[in-house]
Amino acid sequence: MLKHWLVDTAYQVSTSKKYAKIKTFFYNLLENSDFKYKKYFDLLMIAFIFASVIILIREVKSHVNDYLLFFNNYVISIVFLIEYILRLWVNSSVTNIIIQNSEHDAMLGDEFKLFNTLKEIIAVKFRYILSLKAIIDLLAIIPFFHELRLLRIFILFRVFKLFRYAKSIQTFTSVIAAKKFEFLTLLVFASIIIFVSSILIYVMEGNIQESPIDTFFEAVYWSIVTISTVGYGDITPVTESGRVVAMFVIVAGIAVFSFTTSLIVTAFTEKLDEIKDLKLIDDIAKVKEFYLICGYESVSKEVAKKLAINNKVVILEENLLKVQQARKAGFFALNYDPGSIESYKKLRINIGTQVKAIICLSHSDVENVYTALTVRSFNKDVFILSILKNKINRNKLNFAGVNELFYEKELVGIIAKEFVGQPVAFEVIHALRSSYNGVDMQEIVINDRVVSNFVSVGELNNKKYRIVLLGIYKKSKKRFLFNPLDSTLLETGDYLLVIGNVQFLKMFTNNLHKKGSK
Amino acid sequence: MIKNSALIFGYNEYTLEIEKSISSYYDDIHIFKLNEEIKQDELSSYHISSFDLSDNWDDLKSCMDMNNCVAFCVLEDMAENIFLTISLRDTFKDLVIVALAEDKESADKLMLAGASRVLPTTQTTANIIVEILEKPIVTEVLHHILYEQSSLKISQIKVGKSNFFDGKYPADIDWSRDHGIIVISIVHEDMSSEFIYSAKEKHHNIRCGDIFVVAGYEEDINNFEKLIGGKCD
Repeated sequence: MLKHWLVDTAYQVSTSKKYAKIKTFFYNLLENSDFKYKKYFDLLMIAFIFASVIILIREVKSHVNDYLLFFNNYVISIVFLIEYILRLWVNSSVTNIIIQNSEHDAMLGDEFKLFNTLKEIIAVKFRYILSLKAIIDLLAIIPFFHELRLLRIFILFRVFKLFRYAKSIQTFTSVIAAKKFEFLTLLVFASIIIFVSSILIYVMEGNIQESPIDTFFEAVYWSIVTISTVGYGDITPVTESGRVVAMFVIVAGIAVFSFTTSLIVTAFTEKLDEIKDLKLIDDIAKVKEFYLICGYESVSKEVAKKLAINNKVVILEENLLKVQQARKAGFFALNYDPGSIESYKKLRINIGTQVKAIICLSHSDVENVYTALTVRSFNKDVFILSILKNKINRNKLNFAGVNELFYEKELVGIIAKEFVGQPVAFEVIHALRSSYNGVDMQEIVINDRVVSNFVSVGELNNKKYRIVLLGIYKKSKKRFLFNPLDSTLLETGDYLLVIGNVQFLKMFTNNLHKKGSK
Repeated sequence: MIKNSALIFGYNEYTLEIEKSISSYYDDIHIFKLNEEIKQDELSSYHISSFDLSDNWDDLKSCMDMNNCVAFCVLEDMAENIFLTISLRDTFKDLVIVALAEDKESADKLMLAGASRVLPTTQTTANIIVEILEKPIVTEVLHHILYEQSSLKISQIKVGKSNFFDGKYPADIDWSRDHGIIVISIVHEDMSSEFIYSAKEKHHNIRCGDIFVVAGYEEDINNFEKLIGGKCD
């Protein structure tokens, strides 16, 4: 009966959209650093931690307001308790374990083993409870029982909770953790030195009247102070043999100190690129819209430079040297293979909403086909543009899902034709395309706001801004109307093709959007 | 600009594309290969000769009217292309040389070597790619007007009858309503070009020999051409 009820409830809960939504929200809030509200939650928790510590310090010598004490001992502690419970909840899914086990047992034709399932649930939850972070979280709640004065010191565990919320501390610990074995060796070495020297100094000076070392604790204290190269001087050996021990500890101390420094420096140097990449990925994840360029070669350099004037550009390149060049040029560049799905997973971006277009500019058609296929394997809609190096590969790139192909050799032929046919017109169009002399050709999209201000072409008043209206691209008819009549109606989604001075174009565009500008 | 013959130096994919695009403009197209492999089937209708970078072009001088030729230097090795350009310029002072450049640096060198016009492939490719991404409608319309069979054209018209303007400044005339065309730019006799929208152009007197760059339907352009002068050659 109980077994049935448990399995039914597990299925009910796991299929409930509301439950999934709530759990995902709390998971994102507590664990997902890309979730937009997480930083506010983290800041609130950091504020609580500092408030606790400040109250603890103030309490040492002064009277603290009762409301503040109540806030510290109950409100903050309850908030931390709720957080602890939520973390325990989102850490693993009990319903999934029940469902998996019941299905497994049903498949084997056995009866659902409730005891085994409960054992598994407890094991999973305990694995979390016994993790270092969870222990710190638990100890941070203890000041809740503030009546026991001794337990107040547990407030300091709240400071350790900062590890959860401050990313730089997490980075530091991950760097140190990478050298765990070396640090452990160093710790063992230092502990042996401290232990041996403490015994030696205690044996040498413990019974000497003039010596300040009376107890073994004092010997250990002296040993640690000396090996750390701090050397307060409150306890010093007085016998010759004691001083020999001191010399030995001092030399060992220098070795320990330099070894520690070099370990930290090496750990940071080794992890520096990784840390930089992680920071870059974080920055990229925050960018609203950008162009993703795959490959950093001659054409990409120019394209990136031009696109970067009005947009954000991210470059993926396999060759480290080229990545460094791109970074030197001021671009977001990552040493990732654009032809690997793993690279896009690591980027933690939403290709559908964040990427304006993917531009495959490798000098090899093979690589461009591979990149396009990789992207298409997980996103069908993003716009992909690729250059074509050899025209026999045109179909392959089209087949790979490229939306726009660009064959530069064909372009050269077309330009040559225009140049020999109408050289003056060619020069003018060329100058216009490269915004020569501040004159540019632009497309202005007509939105609802513009339509509410201007009904027809005649009302646009473009001549006032010395702007030439070349025509209107009618979105509804997918047709370009050259030199439209004044009576032509403007519709939402149309594009105005205009030529004029960049400054005047800006003023004209602003005027189009200004209410009552007509 | 239109000459009778085109000489293409270099035999590669650029040659094929250039030949395809310009064949309607020239009576003769001569292709010269340096040491590239010949795929005879692709350009079987043309006679492909060989040349050497140490050539003094005596054969060329004897069989071609070089004043009526345009040379395209499309060697893929930039050092060789620059050498070829300098060699042609040294022998033929008035020859129109159009040269292919890989980047800005080689474009500058080719201009120094005496090329009349340089086509920098990297820059041009990048410009068009950015245009496709940033101004898709402009790209589509321009491509349609410039490169496809369309009644809408961009044309250059030389002013033959300046009295048509009768003291009027270009900015005073409503070209689009009066003549159905749009004047994009006016290029003066000294080849200094001014876009119609510049403040300077507002007070410029049209003289005989100025060139109008206009956009419009073929018929309107022809009518306008009859009105103000003759089409440039």
